[in-house]
Formats: sequence, C-alpha cells, structure tokens
Amino acid sequence: MTKSNSFFLVFSYFLSVALVRTRLFFMLGVSIFFMPAQAQQNEVSDQNSVRSPVVQFHAWGGSAQVNGYIQWVSEQVHTQYNITLNHVKLADTSDAVSRVLAEKAAGNDSQGSVNLIWINGENFAAMQRNGLLLEDWVNSLPNFALTNPSRNPAMITDFGIPTHGQEAPWGKASMVFYYNSRFVQQPPLNLPELLRFAKDHVGRFTYPLPNDYLGISFLKYAAIALNEKDRDLLYQPVTKTALAHITQALWRYLDELHPLMYKQGEYMVRQASQLQRLMGTGELLLAFSFTAAEIPSAVNRFDLPESIRTYAMEDGSLANVHFIGITYNTESVTAAKQVVNFLLSPQAQAKKQQLAVWGDDSVLDFSMLSASEKALFKPAAKHTAALDTQKAVPLFAEPHSSWTDALRQAWFLRYGERF
Amino acid sequence: MAVFQHITQSVRVLLIALLSVPVFAGLVGVVLPAFGYFPALNAFDFNLGVFKHLFALESIVNMTLLSLLTGLIATALSVASAFLLLSVFYRSSYLNRLQSWLSPLLVLPHAAAAIALLFVLSPSGLLASVVSNAVSVFSSGAENLSNTQNVLPPSWEFPYDRFGISIIVALALKELPFVFLIAVSVLSQPQVKRKFDGYFNSATALGYAPVTVFFKAIFPVVYSQVRLPLLAVLAYATANVEIPLLLGPNNPPTLAVAVVQWFNHVDLSMRFQASAAALLQVVVTLIAIGIWLIGENIIERVQGRFYTNGSRYTGQMFASFVAYSVVASYSLLALSIIISTTLWSVATFWTFPTLLPEGFTLLHWKTTLSALAEPVKNTVLLATFVSAFSVLIATLALEAEALNRQDNKRSEYFNRWVGGVLASTLFLPLLVPGVAFLYGLVWFQLTYFNDAVWLHLFISHLVYVLPYVFISLAVAYRKFEPRYIQVAYGMGKSPWQVFVHIKLPLLFAPLLVAFALGVAISFSQYLPTVLSTGGRIATVTTEAVAAASGSSVRLTAVYVLVQIFMPLVGFVLAWWLPTICFNPMGRYTLLRPRKSKL
Repeated sequence: MTKSNSFFLVFSYFLSVALVRTRLFFMLGVSIFFMPAQAQQNEVSDQNSVRSPVVQFHAWGGSAQVNGYIQWVSEQVHTQYNITLNHVKLADTSDAVSRVLAEKAAGNDSQGSVNLIWINGENFAAMQRNGLLLEDWVNSLPNFALTNPSRNPAMITDFGIPTHGQEAPWGKASMVFYYNSRFVQQPPLNLPELLRFAKDHVGRFTYPLPNDYLGISFLKYAAIALNEKDRDLLYQPVTKTALAHITQALWRYLDELHPLMYKQGEYMVRQASQLQRLMGTGELLLAFSFTAAEIPSAVNRFDLPESIRTYAMEDGSLANVHFIGITYNTESVTAAKQVVNFLLSPQAQAKKQQLAVWGDDSVLDFSMLSASEKALFKPAAKHTAALDTQKAVPLFAEPHSSWTDALRQAWFLRYGERF
Repeated sequence: MAVFQHITQSVRVLLIALLSVPVFAGLVGVVLPAFGYFPALNAFDFNLGVFKHLFALESIVNMTLLSLLTGLIATALSVASAFLLLSVFYRSSYLNRLQSWLSPLLVLPHAAAAIALLFVLSPSGLLASVVSNAVSVFSSGAENLSNTQNVLPPSWEFPYDRFGISIIVALALKELPFVFLIAVSVLSQPQVKRKFDGYFNSATALGYAPVTVFFKAIFPVVYSQVRLPLLAVLAYATANVEIPLLLGPNNPPTLAVAVVQWFNHVDLSMRFQASAAALLQVVVTLIAIGIWLIGENIIERVQGRFYTNGSRYTGQMFASFVAYSVVASYSLLALSIIISTTLWSVATFWTFPTLLPEGFTLLHWKTTLSALAEPVKNTVLLATFVSAFSVLIATLALEAEALNRQDNKRSEYFNRWVGGVLASTLFLPLLVPGVAFLYGLVWFQLTYFNDAVWLHLFISHLVYVLPYVFISLAVAYRKFEPRYIQVAYGMGKSPWQVFVHIKLPLLFAPLLVAFALGVAISFSQYLPTVLSTGGRIATVTTEAVAAASGSSVRLTAVYVLVQIFMPLVGFVLAWWLPTICFNPMGRYTLLRPRKSKL
C-alpha cells in the first residue's frame, strides 16, 4: 500500500465514523475549516504583540485626497512610533457603527475590528447613546491643548452635544458652492437666486438625499437662511411647534425647487461624491461641498473641468468640526491614542491643510503655536478654482443635534421614503 | 468497497453540508429578528409587529413590484434572446465564435457591467456624444462643428429611471451570455447531440427550416434541461443588489436595495424591519419563480398546436432578425464599453460632446495601482484557495456519482437520495437571495468565531463558487468517454488508479476551466465580502464599488478595467496551459463542444 493510500484510509475512517454520528460530522467539518484560519489568526496576533501594534482606522474612502493623506499618516506613525495603521475605506460610515454594535451584541468587548473611527455629529450621537466609544481619553493627549478648547467650544461640542472627551477634533469645514463658468456667468448668491438659477437651467442642480451628510447640511442651510427671524429656534432642542414653524418656509421653497432639479427631483443622488461626478461630466452646472479644497484638487486631477469656480453663498455658510473617536473595545488603546495625538500635531495638521494634499482646515488655535510651527501653515499659490478666502461670509453654526433627525424625518414624510 | 470510494461518498455528503449549513444558519439569523427576537437589542418577544410596520410603509408595494417586474422582464428578455440566438446559430460555424465572445462577458462582475453601462448610455456618455455630434453635423454642416463647444449633455431617462428600465437593460445584457452558454453546454453533450442530429436530419428531410426545427423539436428538450439554472437566474435577477444600486431609481428603490440600506441604517432598530424585508424578498423571489412556472405551464398548454400545425418556416424571419440584431448590438455595445472605459481611464479633461479627451495621462492608473497592491493580493489569494478547494470537492463528489453508476447494487437507495438532495442543494445558494441569508450568517459568525475573518470570507465565497464549479465540471464529467475507463478496469486497475492516471489527465482542461470560473466568481463577490469581513479585508471588487460611489469617473474606469482584466488572466491560462501539458483533448474553451461532425 502506498503512502497516499494509508493517508486516505485514516481520513476516510474519520469520515465514515462521522457519517454515523452526524453531530460529530458537523463538528469535524467545522474544525477542518476552522483550524488553518485559526492558526493563521493566532500567528498574526502573536506577531503584533512582539512587533508593532495594529490600529484599524475606519474612515470614508471615497476621496483620493483623503486616502492619500491617511496613507501618509500611516507611513509617519509607522516610522515614528512603530504602529501599523490600516485604513479601512468605508463607503458609508454607518457600516462601521453597526459593525461595532454587532460586536457589542455578540459580546466581543476587547478585540474590536474597528479602532479609530472618523465620525460626524450624528454617528457620534448614535455611538455615544449605545456606549460604543472609549470615554474620557482626549484630554490626556498632549497636542489636544493646542486646539485651545476653553476658547473654542466647537472643539468639545459636536452638533450641540458635549463630547465628554470621547472624540478628538480633526478638521474644520464650511459649505461652499461651485459652478461651471463656461455655461454660467452669474452664480446664485442666496437661496432666492438659487431658485431663479434652477428656472433658467432646468435639471442642472440637485442635492443629495438627507441620509447623506451633505444632503442634510443643505436642508439645514436652507432652514437657517429661510428663517432669518426665528433662527434661535434651531439652536434649541426641537419641538413640534418649532419644527412646524421652521419647515413651513422650507417646504414652500423645496416644493418649488424639486421639479426644476436633476431628473425633476425624482431621483436624488445618494452621496455627495456623486454631485462632483455629475459636475465633472457636465450634467450639473452648480453643486456644493463641505471641503472647499477638494474642488481645486479635483481640477488638478482632471475630475472637474478647468472652468469650475468656487464661492460661498452671501446669505451664510454652514460650518462644523469633524472628529476622531476610539471604540470601547479597542485592544491597543495606547497605540490608538498615539495616532490621534499625531493627527493633532502641527506637522500633521499643516500637511492636511495643504491644498495639494487635502486642504482641510486645521483645528489648532494659532495663538498656541510657536513661530516655527506657524510657518508650517504657509499658504500655497492661488488656484483659479479655489475659494477666495479674502471674502468674509457669515458662518452658520450647526443647529442643535435634535434637528438633524427631525428635519430628515419630516423631509422623508413629505417627499417619500427614498434610499 | 475501496477506501477511495468511501472518501468520495463522504465528500459528496460534505458538499451538501457546505452549501446548506451556511444558508440555513443565515436564514435562521434573519427569521428570528423578523419575528421580533433579537437579544442584542433586548428584544425577546415573538410577534408580528415588525411585519405590520413593514406593510404599513407607503412605498412597500412599489418596491416589491419593482423587484418582481424588473427580475421577471429581464430574465424573460435574456432567455428569449438567448434561445433565438441559439435557434439561428446552433448549426452554424459561428456558434464556437459566439461562445468565445460571450464567455468573457460571463465573468464580468455585475458591478463592473453596471458601471461600464453608465459610461456608454448615460446622458454624458459615448452614445449621447455620438448622437450630439451627428445632429450638429447634419443640421448645420461640418463647418459649424465648433458650435458644439457649448453643448450640454441631454436629459434623458437612463440611468435611474423610475420604472427600472435601466435595471432591466443591464440585467438582461448580463444574463444573456449565461443562459446562452448553459444551453449550449446541454446541446453539446454527446448523447444529446446525437439525438438532435437525428431530429435535425429527419425534420430537414421533411422540409422544415433550421430555425423551425429548433423550436419544434430541440427547444422543448433543451429547455427542460436548463430549467433549474434559469430559475437561478430569475432568483438572482429579482434579488440582486449591485445593479439596482448603481442604475436603479431610489424613490423607491428595489426591495433588495432597501434591505441593504435598512441593515446598514444608523438607527439599529431598523434591523427588525430589514430582517422582515429580507424575508419578504424571499417571498418575492418565490412569487417570481411561481409566475415563471405558470408561464411555462400556459406555454405548454398552447404549444401542442404549434408542434403539429405543419408549418415549415415558423419564426425563420423573426428569429434571424432578432438574432442578428442582438449580435450587432452586443458587438457595438462591447466595443463602445471597451473604448470609452479605456479612454476615461487615461483621460485628462474631457468635455461633452467631444469624442476624444483633450489629452492622455497615466495619473489615474498610478493612483489606483499603488492603492491596489494589497486588495489584489487578498483577492488572488482568496480566489485561489476557494476555487482550488471547490474543484477538489466537486471532482470527488462527481467521482462518487460516476462510481455509483458503475456498481449500482450497493446502498443504492441512499446514494440516489444523496444525489437528489445534492442536485437541489447546488441551487440553494443561487435561489435563496443573498440579502436574506448573508446578514444572518454574519450574526452567527460574529457570535461564534469572531476572529476567524478569513474563515468567514472563505465560507461565504465558497457558498457561491462551489455550485458554479460543480455545474461546470459536471458537464465535462458526464461527457467523459466511458470506454477509456472500461479498458482500464479491464486491465485490473482500481478506481483510485483510474481516477489519477486516466481521468485527471484527460480532464485537465475542464478542471482548469472550472478553476478559472471559480476564481472569476470569487473575484466578483461584493456583498459576501463586505459583510463577512466588516471591511477588514479589501478585495478589488469592494474597492471598485467604493470607487463607484466616489467622485472620480476616471478612477472608476481604471477599476472596471482591472475587474475585467483579472478574471481574463485566469481564463487565458486555463485555455493555454492544456495546450502544453497533458494534451489529448487539445484546446478546450469554456463549455465548448468538440467540432461538430455534421
């Protein structure tokens, strides 16, 4: 009998025994597949403890600039701290949120697959509510002091909710509009002009669904701008009467706008990035963004035509801060904190602000920086498609976070359950 | 019974377990929350409240109808055109050429196909540019061409139209090659072929035109043999996520898209609704299958007269017209997809409606390729293991079937029972909508083996790869010339020796093709990959869908090309390797019959 025959003899003995006892059979089946993968897994984590801790950074991955910047960060933390930072590119941040929740549900409280997470106000509120974030760690970061939180309350409040040290500020943004100057001479400078623009250029403007961050931001901007007199209602927790009052003007406006939009408002894009794509192919003539810098760099990458110009609406511009959180079930908390501290360093913040890299505004307070650190932030040459930063525009603060859900639900109730 | 036979029999049972356990476990993980039981959210009461809430939604009827109708119409279109094509070309030398052209389309991932269609058919796409240029040339003469400088893309319905016509077009285009190739594989089985040759000769002698012979004599036999794969196509079409997500409406979307959106909703209580909707999706798929079967029944009732009416030329003109227009539009479409995708991937500025970009750059390729090293490694590694394992399991299971056929005395009842279960289990993962069982499966995976990411990935890919590999290999196995085996047994060889020294070398080419097919199927999986790894392991397809939601048309084009290119490498290897190793059968293309003698 040859060697292979005797191997098969042993193997088939196991299987025929198993056939008689079905339960054993399934266990054997499972263990056959489980063993190699399990062994591999152990090997990896052993290596980690000896060599370098691994930090899983879950962040939206739809922008080449942001991805490139995070790539640079992971190279830096690898050389400086020997940390392996892995960027998990999300199409939608809520995927990661539900992942952490599923882990909590399954009782995995110490070896989460999500470590760092880039969140906005709403996902933060959801994670905080469900206890998915590590608590009170931000104040222990040396570089956090550079944001001067006592003078800038925006660094410790996220959509009106105190952060309680559960997330560290990463960048700042305000809403800008951009248009194709080849077809549009005079872009609209306020909401009434936007409606007139839509009448002149039917089908060439749209906004994303309110599930999208930029979509709900547009609704907030419109709600604030259309309710000049009762604006303070938006900065208190929402009530039924306040909602009815605020939405009155909003619905009147949107009822008129929707039929003039892309696809008569019947189809609305799911993600902000699709707006830029449609601007690039010429199907839209006017769009908006929360990252002014992504527009000139998109032109540099040929994704937007050279005739694109960026500007801010004169009636006001919605502004907010975005944050990084650490999940409660992160294994190597020290490494995760080291990464966040690096993200807040003048070196990393200055790199992020460079137009060629990402162009995201720094969260550091310049009065806290030394002269040499300030020099890192020197401005680059002016780009034709870049926002003119000399013009002062009123900045609208984010409404109280309870308005986000209320506005969105009211919108879906009025314009249909869209996904 | 020899050891080898024991093993093959056990593997056959293992195959059933590998396919059914994940699907049933996954279904349980969805059924429980649908009826209100979800311990993670502190819900322990079984009730029908979730369903009540689901059916109270205003758009639920629309979503259900959209899923049902797009799936049914697309499948009907692709089946009709596939058989019309076959009726015209089944005796023609073009058949082999058609097969080689359509095979690459079979392995093109659905996501890539949908994105590629956007490049051609969207208002700023190639077609609109050509039309716009043609209009300006005809209306004002060539000298006014510079006027096209300030032309905006038109506003037409494709994509995202509310009736789902874009979805139907994309699904039908994508499913046609599959239906066609499955039918050809039946036609090319030696015993079937011999029978059909007989039919053809007698019918032609009676004066029937070839197309009419096909519909009156050959189609009924072929159809009954491809029924199960067709139902799998139908099930897939009603429940598929990628195409409606990329091309469909969202006011409301199809049910499957809504299920995915609800499962990923920030508000976690939406999971109840998502689970209930996932079950509704199973019902929708069942209804679609039911309607299909009723349709078959009706056709069966009225066809009697068609067979006996004596007409010799029924459908000749119509079938030729349809078949040639399908071939023409496919060629045009394939050509324009390749041209426009390639151009976008190297384009600098490109303004509508000019037919060429202003300049060319390798920037987008550089950006993508530097980011793709890791995903490509993951994709190739995973696909190789999954596909190799599937080929091993499928070969052994088929060998068990072949051995059973030889000595049908022993444990006949059991074997036949296993065979029956196996035949239906194969289609289980293809018939049960992925959105219905994958989420439940992930729940189990998280609860029991949270760390074994690669294992989860392996199993969720295996569920999809194994059936295709098995079906593809089964064709070759059943075509295998039995006299080789009889001679070997006559010389006193054991089943194991026959298997290793006769069958494996002779089947080398189909084994490689099955392996390449498995690799391609694994490459194209989106939902199973994202769900079972939670994004921890990126593959080319997950990166491509993420890029499609991104802002750059040009990067997306690069991803589509990479997605087309990778499975092709596998198939080219599968066609080329057999020409240099163990070469008794010569070059063997996917499902291709050996040259017809008639």
